[in-house]
Amino acid sequence: MAITSVKNLKEFSTSNERFEGAHLLCPGCAHSMIVRELMNCTDDNLVIATNTGCLEVSTAVYPYTSWDTSWIHIGFENAATAASGAEAMYKARKRKGTLKDPDASVKFVAFGGDGSTYDIGFQWLSGAVERGHDFTYICLDNENYANTGGQRSSSTPIGATTSTAQAGRVSYGKKEKKKDMVAIMAAHGAPYVAQLAPNKWKIMAQGFQKALETKGPCFINTVSACTTEWKFDPKDTIHLTDLATDSLMFPVYEIINGHELNILYRPKTIVPVEEYLNAQGRYKHLFKPENKHVIEEIKKGITETWEMLQRREEARV
Amino acid sequence: MAEKYEINQTEVWDGNYAAAHALRQAQVDVVSAYPITPSTPIVENYGNFVSNGYIDGEFVMVESEHAAMSGCVGAAAAGGRVATATSSQGFALMVEVLYQASGMRLPIVLNVVNRALASPLNVRGDHSDMYLGRDAGWINLDAFNAQEAYDMNLCAFRIGEHLDVRLPVMVHQDGFITSHTAQNINPLQDEDAYKFVGVYQPVEEMLDFSKPVTYGAQTEEDWHYEHKARQHSALMRSTRVIDEVFADFKALTGREYKRVESYMMEDAEVAVVALGTTVETLRQAAKELRKEGLKAGVIAPRCFRPFPFDQIAEVCGDAKAVCVMDRSAPGGAMGAMFNEISAAILATGKRPLVTNYIYGLGGRDFSVDEAKRIFKEQKAHADAGHITTQIQQFSGLRGPRLGFFESKRS
Amino acid sequence: MRGAAATEKRGMRELGAEKLVGWDEVTHGVVINSFEGDAANIASLTSEERIYSDFNSYTATVASWRVVKPVYNRDICIDCQNCWVWCPDTSIISRDKQMLGIDYDHCKGCGVCVEVCPTNPKSLLMFIEAEENDSALSQWPEKKKKEKE
Repeated sequence: MAITSVKNLKEFSTSNERFEGAHLLCPGCAHSMIVRELMNCTDDNLVIATNTGCLEVSTAVYPYTSWDTSWIHIGFENAATAASGAEAMYKARKRKGTLKDPDASVKFVAFGGDGSTYDIGFQWLSGAVERGHDFTYICLDNENYANTGGQRSSSTPIGATTSTAQAGRVSYGKKEKKKDMVAIMAAHGAPYVAQLAPNKWKIMAQGFQKALETKGPCFINTVSACTTEWKFDPKDTIHLTDLATDSLMFPVYEIINGHELNILYRPKTIVPVEEYLNAQGRYKHLFKPENKHVIEEIKKGITETWEMLQRREEARV
Repeated sequence: MAEKYEINQTEVWDGNYAAAHALRQAQVDVVSAYPITPSTPIVENYGNFVSNGYIDGEFVMVESEHAAMSGCVGAAAAGGRVATATSSQGFALMVEVLYQASGMRLPIVLNVVNRALASPLNVRGDHSDMYLGRDAGWINLDAFNAQEAYDMNLCAFRIGEHLDVRLPVMVHQDGFITSHTAQNINPLQDEDAYKFVGVYQPVEEMLDFSKPVTYGAQTEEDWHYEHKARQHSALMRSTRVIDEVFADFKALTGREYKRVESYMMEDAEVAVVALGTTVETLRQAAKELRKEGLKAGVIAPRCFRPFPFDQIAEVCGDAKAVCVMDRSAPGGAMGAMFNEISAAILATGKRPLVTNYIYGLGGRDFSVDEAKRIFKEQKAHADAGHITTQIQQFSGLRGPRLGFFESKRS
Repeated sequence: MRGAAATEKRGMRELGAEKLVGWDEVTHGVVINSFEGDAANIASLTSEERIYSDFNSYTATVASWRVVKPVYNRDICIDCQNCWVWCPDTSIISRDKQMLGIDYDHCKGCGVCVEVCPTNPKSLLMFIEAEENDSALSQWPEKKKKEKE
């Protein structure tokens, strides 16, 4: 594997871009930060499959592609399966000696949003991971169906307003908690599972590299702050992501072989979650007196999750 | 290298086993599949070949038919030979990806062991699944028996992978009647079969890293239409290659196939058109009726897509009455093949009396006697000089007579 | 010269300004090739060294999306590469660990680079699109004193 050095940013910055500009993602979109970093952290050839979603509709609109590697999009739900098929073909052709360059190293990667990962493509992802294909699946988790205008997903946190779970006179927005996709994927026994964030670029790059190096199916959930649907100024994407990781709304950790959990980032000072919530339009209504209980519930959830992660890290089981 | 499979000159195989052997002999690189009745044995037999060293390629057992075709698309875009099999509900679940495969011009071979679509659930053979996929942009070849299921598979790779075609191909066979009925088959030896199919030639492959490719781009109103037109053009023009491959296959095996098969049509006064195993029933009926003096003939589109519009009209000749049999619930219209055959005939200026039978749904038996009755009914139309029944009727249906539309022609 | 050709290609077309060809000329299977010629070692080549195909979005521009733009002040920059790593539009041109400037063909003016710039004063600041860069540089603020709380 040809790893790009991510020891420090200066060294990392010498890697050549493989995700080109003039894609159509919103200004300030974290998707492209994450995708760029994945593509820049390795020199290996990549075959990338992408589910339907913001990333797909913005990066391959005929007659343009923003991908400098092989790339395929089939449907909303099946990037994991497209990667499975391509990986199987690679193995078959390698064995039969029909590859053009049999010595070229290649990594298979699939991208999906939380819509296609947590919801519509859940089964396809589960199947591909169970079958043990050698690929890395990266979820660009922006906690809603942003491509279709901001509907709820099973990744949308409790209390957020979305167009199909709206805050209104009698509703505080989404009633259900966010699905714990990382735990579900760890339960598949995947050799490497992580939750990473682009503000912690080095941890993220190292996580990507670990996943690419690990043989077998790896899953990474990345927080992808969505300026359009979370409703914050595009310039604040990284700042907002800082608040997400530092309030522990979005803890950064990895799980190896389904059980060995390592917390990868511990904020020096835990930021009150109100700061994170208040920085986004989708949570504004929670600050009304009648919705205070939702903030309390969010806080409780954060504490419980953080406690659980720390205990699992200690217990090593 | 995969082990050579010892094959006798004549084997007793059913359609599924025959298809599985054809896939094995074509040295398919990736089979991505999910089992469903009645196509399951194709996948199982292939799995048996894998487990016993007869397959070099990858066998990916996915978790649904949608994933099966998705895996096929991903694999095909990675530049190798790909095939799978399905039926009915599984086929329905695949439909989204069928359109993707043809739009990306990936020459996947899909065995469709035809079965009814629910509701109500039914595992028996009819052509509902074939009809569901007819606009998906695939070449559709229809096998009428187990030998043909084998032969059409070998031809399918050659046709779909031809550099002038590069389109996916479905090989249809009737659920159970063909798929599960063991018949005498004359297969090719492994090396001859592979030589006929040929070495796979990748086009725009994702694993050629000197030429990164993007598959599955979005096209909006300024581009979509041109892409669909190019794809349609390739499908319509694949007829030349289909004819060539059939000719090569005849030279190799002596078995002759045409895009439209016809039986005793040269002087036929009445004709019946059908697909699948029904064709053999009709042939038997026509043969017997000829002895009684009725000039009966049979027409069978071997190639359902691209639809042999010109050849159909040619084959109809001077028949005075033509009955088109559709083995799929028409869902509020005349049978789909009736409409297509009618349109083909209309373009010639000839005006035989064309009627439509819906039949055999959910595996309802279609007998030689019933076939004879239908031929005789055509004769009655021909003698009367007009359609003497309703235009759409139902064969083998219990209950009060069901039919629709009267002919206004006299 | 290869490099010159690539640089010329960058942002040469507004999206939607490409030639609309007929059905017989659109690509086989809607496939798009990212490069012309052999691109086997693309990861080892800089943008200037590559031969992009006209289908690569590198050859298109989204400059018209911008209402405000980042202006880069070389004199203050410490080449930390924060702007490079977090730019969502591949618009920070960095070579040999040095920040060279902004790719205005691909920058959408989100302002992330300014926010993540750690220098004091910042080495990147947002200005309205119509402002000349020289004029913007002449208005650069002085170093801010740390506010004591």
